[in-house]
Amino acid sequence: MHSAAPATGAFGSERNLGRRALDTARTRGASYADVRFVRREVEDAQVKNGALENVDRVDSLGFGVRAIADGAWGFAASPVVTGAEADRVAALAVEVARASALTKRDAARLAPVKPVTATWRSPVAKDPFAMSFDDRLALLLRADAAMRAQQPKLRTTRAAYEIWRESKLFLSSEGADIAQTITETGCSISAESVGDGEQQVRSYPASGGRSQGQFGWEFAERWDLVGNAPRIADEAMALLTATPCPQDLRTTVILSGNQTMLQVHESCGHPIELDRALGTEAAFAGTSFLTPDTLGSLRYGSEAVSMRIDSTTPGGLGTFAYDDEGVPASEGWAVKDGLFVGYLMSRETAAALGKASNGTMRADGWARLPLIRMTNVSLMPGAAGTLADLVADTDEGIYMDTNRSWSIDDRRFNFQFGTQIGWLIKGGKLTEMVRNPTYTGITPEFWGSCDAVCSDSEWFIWGTPNCGKGQPSQVGHTGHGAAPARFRNVRVGVIRA
Amino acid sequence: MSNLLAEGERASVVLAGEGALRALADAALAASDAEETEVFLRTRTYALTRFANAQIHQNVVSREARARVRAVRGKRVALSSTDRVDRDGLERAARSAGELAERVPENPRFAGLPEPRAIPSAPAAYVERTAVATPLDRAKAAQRICDPARAKKLSAAGFVATLVEEVAVASSKGTWAYWPRTGSEVQVVAIGDDGTAYADRAHADFAALDVAGAADEAIAKCLIAQKPRDLAPGDYEVVLAPYAVSDIVGFLSNQLTGLAVEEGRSWVGGKIGERVTGPVTLVDDAFDPEGYPQPFDYEGQPTERVTLIEDGVARGLVYDSQTAHRMNARNTGHALPANPFLPVAPMHVRLEPGDKSRQELVGAVKRGVLVTRFHYTRWVHQLRTIVTGMTRDGTFLIENGELAHPVKNFRFTQSYADALGGTLGIGRDLSLVDELLAIAGMSRRVPALRLARFAFTGATRY
Repeated sequence: MHSAAPATGAFGSERNLGRRALDTARTRGASYADVRFVRREVEDAQVKNGALENVDRVDSLGFGVRAIADGAWGFAASPVVTGAEADRVAALAVEVARASALTKRDAARLAPVKPVTATWRSPVAKDPFAMSFDDRLALLLRADAAMRAQQPKLRTTRAAYEIWRESKLFLSSEGADIAQTITETGCSISAESVGDGEQQVRSYPASGGRSQGQFGWEFAERWDLVGNAPRIADEAMALLTATPCPQDLRTTVILSGNQTMLQVHESCGHPIELDRALGTEAAFAGTSFLTPDTLGSLRYGSEAVSMRIDSTTPGGLGTFAYDDEGVPASEGWAVKDGLFVGYLMSRETAAALGKASNGTMRADGWARLPLIRMTNVSLMPGAAGTLADLVADTDEGIYMDTNRSWSIDDRRFNFQFGTQIGWLIKGGKLTEMVRNPTYTGITPEFWGSCDAVCSDSEWFIWGTPNCGKGQPSQVGHTGHGAAPARFRNVRVGVIRA
Repeated sequence: MSNLLAEGERASVVLAGEGALRALADAALAASDAEETEVFLRTRTYALTRFANAQIHQNVVSREARARVRAVRGKRVALSSTDRVDRDGLERAARSAGELAERVPENPRFAGLPEPRAIPSAPAAYVERTAVATPLDRAKAAQRICDPARAKKLSAAGFVATLVEEVAVASSKGTWAYWPRTGSEVQVVAIGDDGTAYADRAHADFAALDVAGAADEAIAKCLIAQKPRDLAPGDYEVVLAPYAVSDIVGFLSNQLTGLAVEEGRSWVGGKIGERVTGPVTLVDDAFDPEGYPQPFDYEGQPTERVTLIEDGVARGLVYDSQTAHRMNARNTGHALPANPFLPVAPMHVRLEPGDKSRQELVGAVKRGVLVTRFHYTRWVHQLRTIVTGMTRDGTFLIENGELAHPVKNFRFTQSYADALGGTLGIGRDLSLVDELLAIAGMSRRVPALRLARFAFTGATRY
């Protein structure tokens, strides 16, 4: 099934079908239409307790047509790549759009974009689809074995990778013709311990199933999973008897880079989605406290807090040349020196604010509609030096590492996160390990209490390959650069021990 | 054979049909040279009309298909999946899985594919008029929500969805199972200037979907949800609407599996036969005609009705073939499509009804909180069933048996099992709470509950 990546322009027959679909949509009365063909190749493998538990290769190809007719939107999709089906799906998209017009109050308007013909592929040093399966699997088996050898009493050990390649062709009735190929690699190890009414987990290099980047297999190799396996195993066992996190008090918190990343994702990335701010996600994901009237005036955080929206960051899961509306990649500020200054936008939402889209529309495969998704939303590095420097500069507090639990309200004010592990900080040093650490706050107050962000040397572009949004549900891949950061006067320990 | 979805043998207007899927499965089995081969097929048409700001803004219809082939060579197992559900696609997937199974290491825990077993009959889950619902039908349903909301000077957001799906499982051991089903759902959030409210309905028959009931419920509740007041966080007696109860049932039931016990993360591990909650009874019933019945699992094994919790006592777990083998238990037929994250789960959960009306549940509370819906709930501590999340879309203070006023939303950090331990009253009406579960082949039917204590550990600004 797997082969080296197809040339990005290799959608020969699909291009003809796409043009036919656009013609059909126009003939049926669409004032605008676009079509996306998406081929996705994925291989997931998971080793559990020393044996290959699961290996699954997925090969997916289909297309979706988006149309505006009578001033309203319609979308239809199919995995049947034939001329007759292209006609049927295009006509159905127009029929759906006309049905949408039944409740129309405001006609759909699109911010202008220059249609281009372009191809792009993400750089890959070591093509994971071209290497041998045995070599990929060997990494998992060795990492899993290293955890079990270190701590034979672990209940469950897991090691997993995913290699992911998506090739897509975008054609629009405005004349765009864009082919892109994106390759990603993800990996993780985790150790789970059970005993005396406790169950603990440690994972590496992050949480959420796996850490992922827009790289080839070099991404899996950079983390030294095997070398880190004994430490992760030891920490998982030690957590069973570690001291519970101090209960319900206010103190200083330092978050690891991989936890700061998720804090950025949930409390900045989602609320700067303009569709949320305009109410179109109200029933499910929710809205945003960052309403349009606050743009340019709301103090989001302290002056130590600056966040970028950047779909050009090398290696980020939100990196591309063009979004799924044919808008070119861009970079700009979401938060500058603590002030909220920028949204993630689509052509339609940008038009509502009289702006140009900054190109953030992406769909989860061919069967789903493009939505505003985070590209790479990153906390910019500060001047606090290394993590060791930041800890040394902290008299008292808790260092929290690697997410375990995450929740935030539907306007993105009140959040509560838990991490897998923590250490008390006393006199500028990490001291006692604590288990079940949690912290909670209100987003602008929390970021307002941020007084230090580590420097460039600690900054990394993390990947979140499991961001849920939309109905029907879609899984998005988003990138977040982050470094460890310090927050003052944070409420911690909201769990009955 | 010509393409399945374009021209396949049709048993109805929109289904591919059992004959066409059987022919494709047979082709895949014939193309495999593995010792054992299993083929899972799913085709669906999924349509969802989404509205916000009281108008339709996203409206989608997608035909989707997925085939997954599991190839077995001794203890070596591999999967290959494709959405090219035609003969060529199936044969390629079969060969791909077979080739991969030659290269993978042995999994000493693998028990082989399950032997075929007779599939019991079950209530029909397929309604043709749901399958043929048009974009205009769904748009009119959305209009039935948006117009009355506007008339009350409210906005509305939500969706109207229809699903028609058929699943089939075949194996080289002789397994064959086929099941068509439909589902429809409406979700509504009515939105005022300073308060929101939620309602949801689901039904296998789109013609019987109570769109007006959902609209009326959300609008009426929204009108009394305006201008919520601050209420100090703390422990409160609560009445939970079925939408909130569904969340509790979902979290707790997913741990009532052999696999969860094996991995040491289940709240009933080592406690079968012991009291683990208050007086509630929780069953998994794939034959419930008011749910979305399906008599077999995704390994083609017959699904058994399982009593999970009986009057507060842990009674049973559900299994797929692999965990049943490892744990020397009977396979109850609860395998999901093979995946590494949730391979087995109760899929048709019902929390049995009590004898109280919703009014009686609220009327018995001297001082407490009525919760309509939870939001963004996540495990804090799985083994202790501690979950954190928010309330949303209609939270009220109850005083002396009546709703006193709306309150701003709370964060809670609460053991769900402990919460059920304080069950004081159970509603007599069950709601099918879908929340897009139908697309996963799942259903939950639950009542409202009155619970003695719920830990609200924080509050938000609205």
